[in-house]
Amino acid sequence: MMWLSSGFIFRRGTSRYHRLDPRVKLLISVLMFATTLLVRTLYELAAVLTFMIAVAAIATVLRRVARTMAFTGLFSAFIFILNFIFTRNVETSLLYAARFVAIVVSTSLFFITTSPDELEQVMKTFRLPRDVIFAFVTAVRFIPVMFLDTIQIMDAQKSRGLELEKGNLLRRARNMIPILIPLVVNSVVRSGELAEAMESRAYGSVPRPTSLVEYRASVTDRVVAVAAVVLFALVAYSFYFVLPARIL
Amino acid sequence: MIEFREVTFVHQNGVKALENVSLKIEPGETVAIVGENGAGKTTLVKHVTGLLKPALGTVLVDGEDTTRTSTAQLSRKVGVAFQNPDHQLFSESVEEEMAFGLRNFGFLPELVEQRVTWGLELFGLSEYRKSSPLVLSGGEKKRLTLACILAWDPRVVILDEPTVGQDSIQKEKLAGTIRMLSASGKTVVVVSHDIEFLWPIQPRVVVMKAGKVVGDGPASRLMQDRGLLDSARVAQPQLVEFYDRLGSRPAAPFADPLEARRWIEEGHRS
Amino acid sequence: MSNILEIEDLSFRYPDSPRMAVVDFDLAVPEGEVVVLAGPSGCGKSTLLRAVNGLIPHMYSGEYKGSVRVGGTNVRESNMRELAQKVGFLFQNPENQIFMFTVERDIAFGLENLGVPRQEMRTRVDESMRLLDIGELALRAPHELSDGQKQRVALAGVLAMRPRLVILDEPTSLLDPKTAAELVGLVARLRKELGTTFVVVEHRLDLLVKVADRMVVMNEGRKVLEGTPEEVLFGEDAESYGVSVPSVTRLQKMLLRDGLVQNRGLMTPAELAGAMDGGPV
Repeated sequence: MMWLSSGFIFRRGTSRYHRLDPRVKLLISVLMFATTLLVRTLYELAAVLTFMIAVAAIATVLRRVARTMAFTGLFSAFIFILNFIFTRNVETSLLYAARFVAIVVSTSLFFITTSPDELEQVMKTFRLPRDVIFAFVTAVRFIPVMFLDTIQIMDAQKSRGLELEKGNLLRRARNMIPILIPLVVNSVVRSGELAEAMESRAYGSVPRPTSLVEYRASVTDRVVAVAAVVLFALVAYSFYFVLPARIL
Repeated sequence: MIEFREVTFVHQNGVKALENVSLKIEPGETVAIVGENGAGKTTLVKHVTGLLKPALGTVLVDGEDTTRTSTAQLSRKVGVAFQNPDHQLFSESVEEEMAFGLRNFGFLPELVEQRVTWGLELFGLSEYRKSSPLVLSGGEKKRLTLACILAWDPRVVILDEPTVGQDSIQKEKLAGTIRMLSASGKTVVVVSHDIEFLWPIQPRVVVMKAGKVVGDGPASRLMQDRGLLDSARVAQPQLVEFYDRLGSRPAAPFADPLEARRWIEEGHRS
Repeated sequence: MSNILEIEDLSFRYPDSPRMAVVDFDLAVPEGEVVVLAGPSGCGKSTLLRAVNGLIPHMYSGEYKGSVRVGGTNVRESNMRELAQKVGFLFQNPENQIFMFTVERDIAFGLENLGVPRQEMRTRVDESMRLLDIGELALRAPHELSDGQKQRVALAGVLAMRPRLVILDEPTSLLDPKTAAELVGLVARLRKELGTTFVVVEHRLDLLVKVADRMVVMNEGRKVLEGTPEEVLFGEDAESYGVSVPSVTRLQKMLLRDGLVQNRGLMTPAELAGAMDGGPV
């Protein structure tokens, strides 16, 4: 729960990184992702992770990224063990496990620095259907609300004698029913109310709604984007052609 | 019965929701907790059954420290009716819904059956016994959640904003229920910002402001104190305010606001 | 003064309901009035409101008789796009009518849907925020707002569409008394500043009696009482129809009957005390 929250939930920030055009932020994360797929040795991966940590520091989200890495690391121990059983190779297994962490971090970096409004902008750029974009934005907007609802539901059911902490796995799963049903029912009711409000504000009147906010890429954004692509090209080249030759 | 000893509670964002609150509620009392939204009323209530634990100080229920037991166990003695019934109704039938709490508290099947029938009768919901709780009206849902709680016969009943969204007929029924609970010896705590609703019940009034208790005493005294109520952003009951402003004028047609209220009620019926 | 709202012989029944939700309803509201619609739960108020802004019949179908005209336009023959610009609707739950992640984007929501150009949108959003005094909340997220603030944001979004009629469905029911009073004060001010007509469904009449020009009481789908707030509240039948008459008004009624007070205008406790024979406060 905490992991999901620290790893993927947007929180406002004022760093230069936050202020970049969301498409540039997406580009950076995608390139990081691609780089982790290209690494072949632990040294390379270490270099990539160090770079990610540096970017996180610039974006002032180091603490959260560190926490994400820690939690993901625990999970990737699983991956390590599984791999080791099949390959009996420590280095490869470690590589796979660490690569998983790097993939999660590169994705996380995008989501924690990009607001839902910016996400919407990116989706519009990719010409996703208006209804899909709207459904997504509204869903994100209600995440904090549903979180609070869940707590209130748990409080109410605990006050009727429901013990959420006790029992074996099966028991605990069954005890989730009095929590999940009200949550789902409330969501359905909420959807109905939202539909009324949407209709009342003329949703769907025109196929291409206009937008209050405009995202225009500034010079800085373009420069950063180009720099990122160049850096990626160099790194990819050295990982793929230069280094293996040197090491082997 | 319920005791708060210098309790302080701090939210994650650093705001003090409760600051050095000390309060004792004896068995059989009827207490109203008033204050504006954000004054800490609901936070106070959540401490009683251990949903929240104090950062400083202790909360005792029947002598037991709330940090030493679970909410479920405390709820056996203290039934809390939360504001939104849609946050707890989930069963296939009204009958099942009422049985839920009873079963959690270990009631035997024959007793469950008895208590369910009794509760439904008391709240006029017998005809909905086999219906889904989700098709009931707003007022009926609120009655159902109260019925569910009374079924397991807790010694204390706490109502959190029971009048929100209710019309006058529903509120009258609610006032009647509270009177009945008090008469049967239960300790009743009502958290509400609806002062007109609370006033005729004449409970002990605890006024909260910014996490502190700023007033505690009988309704007859506290509701006269316009200065206190204003500072806590709580309205004064209309008839009390009228009398307050009238002062000691000879033109006053009756002795006090309560008598005025009785006069109005009877005057209307005649 | 022309009528902004004309309801004639309106009857409506939901498809899976045996009884009529609204029966033979007539109402004419002149522009610029504040009308309070009262009645017990289930009396048909919500259905009536939705028949005015077009959700009935455009979103909810059913058996529909009679007509509703807003600013001359027949609701049934129009569409939501047109109606949304004539009738604004503020819902009861502040939470479930705010869609966007930032306040100013949400206020612009209706305008974006209508395809209003950006410059015009900016002007209208800023104007709405100024009217409702929420300029400082422009970039906040909805979950960071109090319920009272959320209602203001929602109302700003409604007003940005510049409707001539605004409907409020129990807007204060989830608010505490002080915040509720602030919202009502806001409605009074907006009516004065903009000349917008307001139809408010409310249980808590003590807040609205001073502001409303007219009160309409519904029961079981029918209109049962109509008149100025004084006429309705001082009348014999108000309570039997489930209207919560404020205590001070009931007192004033008794005092008037017994000749202890002369003033027939609805008064607050302070005013009533002052009006009693025997001297000033």
